[in-house]
Amino acid sequence: MPIPVTGSASSPRLLCVRVEDRAGILQRVTNCVSRRGHHLLSCAVAKGPEQGELRLWLRVDTGIQPPEQAALQLRKLIDVVAVEDLTETGVREWTLGLFEFRAPFARGLEPELGRRGAQVVERTPERLVAALGGPPPALDAAQSVFAGLGLRDFARGRPIALQPAVPQEA
Amino acid sequence: MSTFPAFRQDRQSQPELEVVQARSGAEVLLSALVGQGVDTVFGIPGGANLPIYRHLPQFPIWHVLVRHEQGAAHMADGYARASGRVGVCMATSGPGALNLVTGLATAHFDSVPVVAITGQVATPTIGTDAFQESDVIGSCLSVTKHSYQLRDPGEIEEVVAEAFQVARTGRPGAVLIDIPKDVQQAHLGDDRPLGRLRRHAAPVPAPEEQIETAAAHLSLARRPVILAGRGVAIAGAQSTLLKLATKLDIPVGTTLLGTGVFPNPHPLSLGLVGFMGTGYCNRAVTDCDVLLMVGMRADDRVTCRLDGFAPRAEHVIHVNVDPAELGKTVAADCPIVGDARDVLERLLAQVEPSSRPAWRRQVESWRLRHPLRHPHNGRLQPQQVLRAYYARRRPADITVADVGLNQMWAATGWSGDEAGLFLNSGGQGTMGFALPAAIGAQAAAPMSRVFAICGEGGLVMTVQELATAVEANLPVKVLILNNRQLGMVRQFQDDFYGGVRSQVDHVVTPDFPALARAFGCFGEVVEDLAEVGPALDRAIAHPGPAVLEFRIDPEAGVFPIVPLGGTLSEFVECPYP
Ligand SMILES: Cc1ncc(C[n+]2csc(CCOP(=O)(O)OP(=O)(O)O)c2C)c(N)n1
Ligand SMILES: [Mg+2]
Repeated sequence: MPIPVTGSASSPRLLCVRVEDRAGILQRVTNCVSRRGHHLLSCAVAKGPEQGELRLWLRVDTGIQPPEQAALQLRKLIDVVAVEDLTETGVREWTLGLFEFRAPFARGLEPELGRRGAQVVERTPERLVAALGGPPPALDAAQSVFAGLGLRDFARGRPIALQPAVPQEA
Repeated sequence: MSTFPAFRQDRQSQPELEVVQARSGAEVLLSALVGQGVDTVFGIPGGANLPIYRHLPQFPIWHVLVRHEQGAAHMADGYARASGRVGVCMATSGPGALNLVTGLATAHFDSVPVVAITGQVATPTIGTDAFQESDVIGSCLSVTKHSYQLRDPGEIEEVVAEAFQVARTGRPGAVLIDIPKDVQQAHLGDDRPLGRLRRHAAPVPAPEEQIETAAAHLSLARRPVILAGRGVAIAGAQSTLLKLATKLDIPVGTTLLGTGVFPNPHPLSLGLVGFMGTGYCNRAVTDCDVLLMVGMRADDRVTCRLDGFAPRAEHVIHVNVDPAELGKTVAADCPIVGDARDVLERLLAQVEPSSRPAWRRQVESWRLRHPLRHPHNGRLQPQQVLRAYYARRRPADITVADVGLNQMWAATGWSGDEAGLFLNSGGQGTMGFALPAAIGAQAAAPMSRVFAICGEGGLVMTVQELATAVEANLPVKVLILNNRQLGMVRQFQDDFYGGVRSQVDHVVTPDFPALARAFGCFGEVVEDLAEVGPALDRAIAHPGPAVLEFRIDPEAGVFPIVPLGGTLSEFVECPYP
């Protein structure tokens, strides 16, 4: 004692941040993350449950900094309403993907899309676009299978999550 | 003593003063500032804040016209540190606003409440790279606690109220309000939209179990040490700290910013901790079994190498109002989020009086073995100058140190029993801080004598503010410890970089007394020890600003010093007899 506080070399966290929807808020949040020496891996933004609020989901690698620092520093921002660290709460993360295939379509494509629960959102003789939602690993797996079935392009959203049913201490 | 405008008679006591009927955004702003009890603003006008200056003369605000906006920010900072009130500075857009950045960072890092008001180009031209446009909000994001860019004059009143509240509550800091010129000029209709004024809650008192645990650790400790920082002064907890230390017989060290929160000299005082701290303080921290850190961060200048910081401590109690400071560098098994005064008062109520004669004897033996020493080689030593200066101190005198060796000599030599009288830039270490901060402190405390201790390098970074001091009739005294070098850098090069002295000599330094006189100040140069006292007396007796240049031993260094990358216990002492 006292043991110096340092995290491991790579320490990704998933933070859910509720903020007031004011001009420049994303800049404040992302600046806070990078200013503290953390690496922002991804950011998803949506309207928040309360009027005038946004909800952000940040994936942050706190590197060698103490992992709690990301949430603690964000909480100090005046426009931040609440920060939930969802990292070890067992929450289910969800992400969306759009996958584009061009003609001629592979024979196994449609059954594969069906098997994975993907929804075809556009179909022309030249191209087919399918949407698929799921936990990030499921989408990773689907994407690598689609790669062998003529995948031309894709767009993947960043993970979002809801707090666990029993609130954990952040 | 200077003559101050009559309205400066403690305006804080009558913050609701009736002022001119507000109409334009600029008038609403000025009226809101008066409503916050603002009596003094430091600034420079320019294109984007002229609507504010157009109306300024109508308001009971003393505007101190500075010579560089960095000076304005440091003056607001010095004003706030000396008074405990919010300091206010103003600048125009573009270069004016950007010139504030260093000063805002300096204040913010040291938790000083400052509100900066910048003019901005008119709303329709924002983003077009208009003349003197700068993204001051973006530039200041990481050196302010919060910032606002106004788009509607209807917001001004509430934003000002919130900005002042944000600046002074919780952990104080710098806040920026950026006001486009058209918003300053717009007239307020009756249908002005009312925003929500967000209230920032005072910190929740720490849970009782934490206080009990900390009290138990302190009571059972055999070799306890307390380290105290500026948070103790911000919370007004210095007398409680003294009572607690005395009741439990615990030695107390302070951080650089905490200088003054514990009386020095005092049988329990360990002086300064850290990189250039006293040998006995660093030994005591190294050997302690229980460490209480209160109202301080634990930055690298305090801890030195982390694994050598309090390595024998079985318990570390860390009290800070900012939860993010707990566990940021030093792991504490007893972290307490709370106001220093509240926590110390509750600890005081919980503990029984005790004494630790063996530990005190041990600390005394370190004090004898590692005294603060300096060479006696016939040349004028900075410590000799400072001893003569401190011997002339009166209780309310304010000492503002610049940055470098001068700062460390001034801090280690400081003696007094009141907090808030030794000011310096601890977190940023901003050269050029002392003169403008001293001017700001003098504006806040007209009855105090204010002294700036500077190196010749730091002083010339903001020396133009001597004109401000003369013009505003603020009789600060500047004591230059001139070693004709960037002394601290030179010592680093000697001690840690193979002795290669690179770009540290000031071959040319100004004729400081002549420079002082050119600005309308008193100026003298001192080379002999015998002349130090009389020169100080003459400068003090002079009714206006004065500059004394002391030609000190260029080889004088700060000792003890912990080698870069070393632990607290590896401090090196003065090698000269
Ligand atoms: C604005 C700024 N630039 C550079 C530094 C790095 N620095 C720290 S101390 C120092 C030397 C200061 O020289 P001087 O003002 O003469 O004081 P001395 O150390 O000689 O007492 C320098 C360059 C700094 N702290 N601040
Ligand atoms: Mg020097």
